[in-house]
Amino acid sequence: MQRERVVITGLGTVNALGKNTGDFARGLRNGICGIGPLTLFDTSPYRTHTGAEIKGLDPRRMVPPPFSRKRLSRADVMGIAAAVEALQDAGLFPFPESLTEDTGIILGVGSGGKLEAESVYRDYLESGGRRARFSRLANLCPATSADQITTALKIMGPKTTFMTACSSGATAVGFARDLIVQGDASIMITGGVEPLSRTTFATFNALQAVDPEYCKPFDLKRQGLSLGEAAAFLILESLTHALKRKARIYGEILGYGVTCDAHHMTAPDPEGSGAVRSIRAALQDADLLPTVVDYICAHGTATPANDAMEAKAIREVFEKDATRIPVSSIKSMTGHTLGASGALAAVASLIAIRDGFIPPTIHHEAPDPGCDLDFVSTGARPAVLNVVLANAFAFGGNNTSLLLGRYMEKGLRHG
Amino acid sequence: MDEINRDTRIVMTGMGMVTPLGIGKEQFSARLFRGDSGIREIAAFDTSRLASHLGAEVRDFEPLDFISAKNVRRMDRLSQLAVTSARLAVEDAQMVIGPDNRDRVGIILGTAYGPTDLKVCCTRILFEQGPARINPSLVPNSVLNAPAGHASLELGFRGVNTTVNHQATSGESALVYAAMELQRGTADVVLAGGADILSDFYFESLVRFRAVSPTDGGAEGVRPFDMNRNGPVAGEGCGMVCLERLEHALKRGAVPYCEVTGWGMSSAPSKPTGWPQDGQGVILAMKKALKMACLSPSDIGTIQAAGNGGTNPDAIEAEALQDVFGINSPGPIVSSVKGALGECFSSGGIRGAALALSIQEGKAPPTLGLVNPIAPLNFTTGRFKEANIRHGLLNAVSHGGTNVSIIMSRVE
Repeated sequence: MQRERVVITGLGTVNALGKNTGDFARGLRNGICGIGPLTLFDTSPYRTHTGAEIKGLDPRRMVPPPFSRKRLSRADVMGIAAAVEALQDAGLFPFPESLTEDTGIILGVGSGGKLEAESVYRDYLESGGRRARFSRLANLCPATSADQITTALKIMGPKTTFMTACSSGATAVGFARDLIVQGDASIMITGGVEPLSRTTFATFNALQAVDPEYCKPFDLKRQGLSLGEAAAFLILESLTHALKRKARIYGEILGYGVTCDAHHMTAPDPEGSGAVRSIRAALQDADLLPTVVDYICAHGTATPANDAMEAKAIREVFEKDATRIPVSSIKSMTGHTLGASGALAAVASLIAIRDGFIPPTIHHEAPDPGCDLDFVSTGARPAVLNVVLANAFAFGGNNTSLLLGRYMEKGLRHG
Repeated sequence: MDEINRDTRIVMTGMGMVTPLGIGKEQFSARLFRGDSGIREIAAFDTSRLASHLGAEVRDFEPLDFISAKNVRRMDRLSQLAVTSARLAVEDAQMVIGPDNRDRVGIILGTAYGPTDLKVCCTRILFEQGPARINPSLVPNSVLNAPAGHASLELGFRGVNTTVNHQATSGESALVYAAMELQRGTADVVLAGGADILSDFYFESLVRFRAVSPTDGGAEGVRPFDMNRNGPVAGEGCGMVCLERLEHALKRGAVPYCEVTGWGMSSAPSKPTGWPQDGQGVILAMKKALKMACLSPSDIGTIQAAGNGGTNPDAIEAEALQDVFGINSPGPIVSSVKGALGECFSSGGIRGAALALSIQEGKAPPTLGLVNPIAPLNFTTGRFKEANIRHGLLNAVSHGGTNVSIIMSRVE
């Protein structure tokens, strides 16, 4: 018996390239750099001063009824805005009452309401514990983004939140797929949310992992990542359900794999063993050979260690095809959006499949002999894409690989 | 292609407990069923300025007894509890992890609040001394997935590794995800459970939010499902259980505690820091779990309830239990170990182990603090109750409207 196929019927995002998928798609196609001077907080005490910030986040415009605008964290505003876009895109907003029991939500997160919590704690410190608005901690927990969405839409299906640092969003998409396959829901809202915060910025600076200018993935002169922020949402649906309601289908979740390096807490295994295994696990889950992959939406953070490791892992899995398959890092434009990055890569991959182009790796000028692949460094490239691999690797040695495909009636394996 | 197989049987073959009632299964089990309480005045930090003083702390914990000296100094307290718990679970399951099986062993860990001590410490240094003074060695542990990462390093397994972060359902959701990964066939063994710690600013936040006893005056203390309850008592600890495909367990000669036969997850409309208005979400999760396990309510011998002494959650859960189980008299034995262990939020591993022990030993643990029940359910009070238990149900009910129910059954 064939397992239920799971398709994507809606996309939504807010990130430094735009506050909707249309602007995001244009940014990717035109190779726009979203990285610039940070204005969200004062960066003068820090080593570096740039990041990929979302400008003009306006809850009054971006959080429509039935969502409450009370006490929302930056993360919640971003999450709700992207969720609403994805639902509208899928023709599910306002959310139909008949689907509430059969719909759930799985999100991948990072900081949650940390930006607001930092202010509360600063007030607490400055007043010797006497003055601090603890009520502003109400949305500190990253899980509140999912709670806000289920509450407003009155949905009653499975809900949980993953936090595996930079692979959270990708793992969330995978687990949401599993819940549909197992019949726990027909529709899953999934994705990732990650706002910028001072502590995140400070900790990556402490690790000296931030490029003082802008990140240069896979470039010889790369010296670290640029932090970004994003919410990226996907509406997943069982194929049966999507066909029944004649939904527009962006593509299919073909497979995913999750592994762990067990090598080091922050440095990836230089041999790339964990990444190799996660890519192979995704291919095995999809029952596909490496040769079918048309494009790799890389993790590509622009840290010296990650990019060398990832290029090595790609060469090991794809062997002689490795140099044929275009590889790019959208982080060169969006910054590294940590907990949201896996979901943002998934949204970018589906846009690439739909619009027929490969997003470029911008700022890639000096080839690194240690990263000898086709990094699409001269601008977006037209291409017919059927299968895209999206990688997300994280602190803690967590690796997740997602395999996304163009929707074909008979499925790839039969076509 | 691997068909996700709901017929794959999943068993629990080990448990690792680092709790206010002791470290290791034997101590935990003996003290739990004897009716000991892990709740005392908090010793780790000063609570004199605050309205609440009680907590269920893990005491007398010496990490070097369990973790290699090389690794232990790289870990914060949360990671130490989690890694110890994972090691104890692996030992209890009599598993040997080596090059032959390490890629097929994984971990799914739930934590509701993560390393609160370290996160606050980083923020304090940031504001008091500036970002340049943050020690890079603090950084890796300030991320919520650090404990699971440390466990993989210390024990050397490389399979699926994920951290769940959803309030008071974190641990139970981790058990569900672990079971689903085993069914998906990506692993043979997955350690699953939850961990949270007590720390000063975190505790103060709970008190200021009126999230812990005494929320509305009265004597401080936890009284689950009691007419006079006035909030939970905060706790800490870690419980990890070893979940395994039955086939794999039998092949290596492991003796399972119980089988995980069903689960259900649900949501209910609620403000993020508030509670749903009724028990519909809880009912839905329990019904999904019963349906998956192909059981009727009368098959359930005991319920390890989420009840933590909170005014709203206990009322909601009691309403849901009456709705689903109320028609059978006397009905399943309902117990909440949070009377002894407090509310550690990510208690899914600890309470899952308690339920497994209930099934194995034929008795449901006491519900300390319960004297005058709010509903005519078959509660335990100060003493355990004996029964022939074939199936038990574990409930998680969280603010923000999230519910998980898991059914565990005797292996037959």
